[in-house]
Amino acid sequence: MPNPAKTTGPNSPARPNIAFEEALTKLEGVVESMESGDLPLESLIAKYEEGMALAKACQQKLAEAELKIQQLEKAAGGELKLKPFPLETAED
Amino acid sequence: MLSDSMSKPTKSQWDFGELFPTEQTRHVLSVSELTTQIKRSLEKQVGTIWVSGEITNLRAQSSGHIYFTLKDAGAQLSCVLFSREKVSHRELLADGQKVLLQGDVTVYEARGQYQLIVRAVELQGVGVLQIAFEKLKAKLAAEGLFAPERKRALPKFPQRIGLVTSPTGAAIRDVLHVVQRRNPGLEIILAPCRVQGEGAAEEIAEAIGRLNEFNSRSSRRESAQIKNQSRLTSAATMNLDLILVTRGGGSLEDLWAFNEEVVARAIFESAIPVVSAVGHEIDFTISDFVADMRAATPSAAAEIITENVFASREFVSEAPALMRLRVRQQLERAGEGHEAAAHRLMLAHPRRKLDEWLQRLDDLQSSLARCGRQCVRDGKLAVQNLAGRLWRTRPAQLLRQRGESLAQTRRQLVERMRQQLRERRHEFQELQSRLRLLGPEQVLARGYSITTDAATGKVLRDAAKVKAGQRLKTRLKSGEVRSVVEG
Repeated sequence: MPNPAKTTGPNSPARPNIAFEEALTKLEGVVESMESGDLPLESLIAKYEEGMALAKACQQKLAEAELKIQQLEKAAGGELKLKPFPLETAED
Repeated sequence: MLSDSMSKPTKSQWDFGELFPTEQTRHVLSVSELTTQIKRSLEKQVGTIWVSGEITNLRAQSSGHIYFTLKDAGAQLSCVLFSREKVSHRELLADGQKVLLQGDVTVYEARGQYQLIVRAVELQGVGVLQIAFEKLKAKLAAEGLFAPERKRALPKFPQRIGLVTSPTGAAIRDVLHVVQRRNPGLEIILAPCRVQGEGAAEEIAEAIGRLNEFNSRSSRRESAQIKNQSRLTSAATMNLDLILVTRGGGSLEDLWAFNEEVVARAIFESAIPVVSAVGHEIDFTISDFVADMRAATPSAAAEIITENVFASREFVSEAPALMRLRVRQQLERAGEGHEAAAHRLMLAHPRRKLDEWLQRLDDLQSSLARCGRQCVRDGKLAVQNLAGRLWRTRPAQLLRQRGESLAQTRRQLVERMRQQLRERRHEFQELQSRLRLLGPEQVLARGYSITTDAATGKVLRDAAKVKAGQRLKTRLKSGEVRSVVEG
């Protein structure tokens, strides 16, 4: 299901904050065009540089090794609150 | 009244008051009146109630009414279920069945017994859960809650998911374990709730609702949220991509909350796609049917959710090498013409051809020499072989062998002929002596004679038949006598 908020968010044009899905899709496109078309050497090199930057961005996203989990609770007044979830209790 | 007179302390001990009080002071009831009173007060005080217990001593009458006793460890209650009552599962009532009954407590006046007039029956126990499950499933299916066209696709690369489960159960452990391994970048918002027992279904439904509320509010408050939660600065919004409703394996009763209508409705109404993973592979719950996707187990659900990111890991890590290879190939192809020509030239160089022929010559020479040596060896062997065979077949020896065997055969032949002759002679003598025993010579030798008619040669056996002048011939042991019969 498409998530419009993710791809049209205010931060998406900025390279370091690019969403994983977008970076991955672009990277797939770059690799595919490099593999199939007989690109002139100059544009091939340009594609290569773009692809390398995208791959790096994807790898950074994947390398975020720390689980991010929070608890959503409802206060008496109906206010929703996020609280850190103690991972130790769940991990053994 | 009686009590008034008794309470006066000044009375003498002999004063027994009115021993035979008048009829007017006593309030006497008929049995019917008393029973009616009891009935009225019972119906007023107790009225319509729910009661649970086990059926025993059930009797179904031909009238269609069912009489039985409801009991628990300490007490019994007579019950009657009239045929006019529209009660579901009437046919499932039986001794030993645990039930929850609704009815009115009343008195059966003719017998002076109080009893429960049953209005509604709820069966309890596993078989009953099965029936409830099928009923709710049929109902929700009819309403279109399971319709395939309603199922929403899950986002391919979920970044943030809602998790509805117990914070201390096995399910959350399994899910976090898989997510940590396959896509640790996935953000999880846990809406903790109980997943079994009384009230668990309502908590699950509320948790799903809570996550939906959070999702719709977060889009409005996103900027404030991001400032407060420094860990989440990279997130553009706090939107949830999907909700995972899950719990680990357990008995049918343990999983029952996920078969309740309130949970089914909450999943159906969720604006966020829902994945349901309850129990083991074999367990299907109503929540599985309503959800946009069912996973067999909590771990399986986590695998489905992280599948695309996990699968892309390989591609992402291989992409740089793939692109480098592509560039190198392109560069190589540019220099390819030159290299190919150089290669062909090198192949066609005369020196190379010469080397080839020289090598071939060497090969031929050595194989020729090898062949000569081999021929000589083979010839020698053949001669030796023939000489041996010749020596073994020398003719003189053969002749002597044959001569010996001829003489032997001849000896055997003569010997066998002699033997035969002896045997035949012996047989002949034997036959002769047997013949002699049977012939007349032996009788004649003992002095008997044989007289025959000389003319006819017939043997005479009766003297009366002999006529005078008849010529006779008598044979003795040796010789014969000729005679004539006297007149």
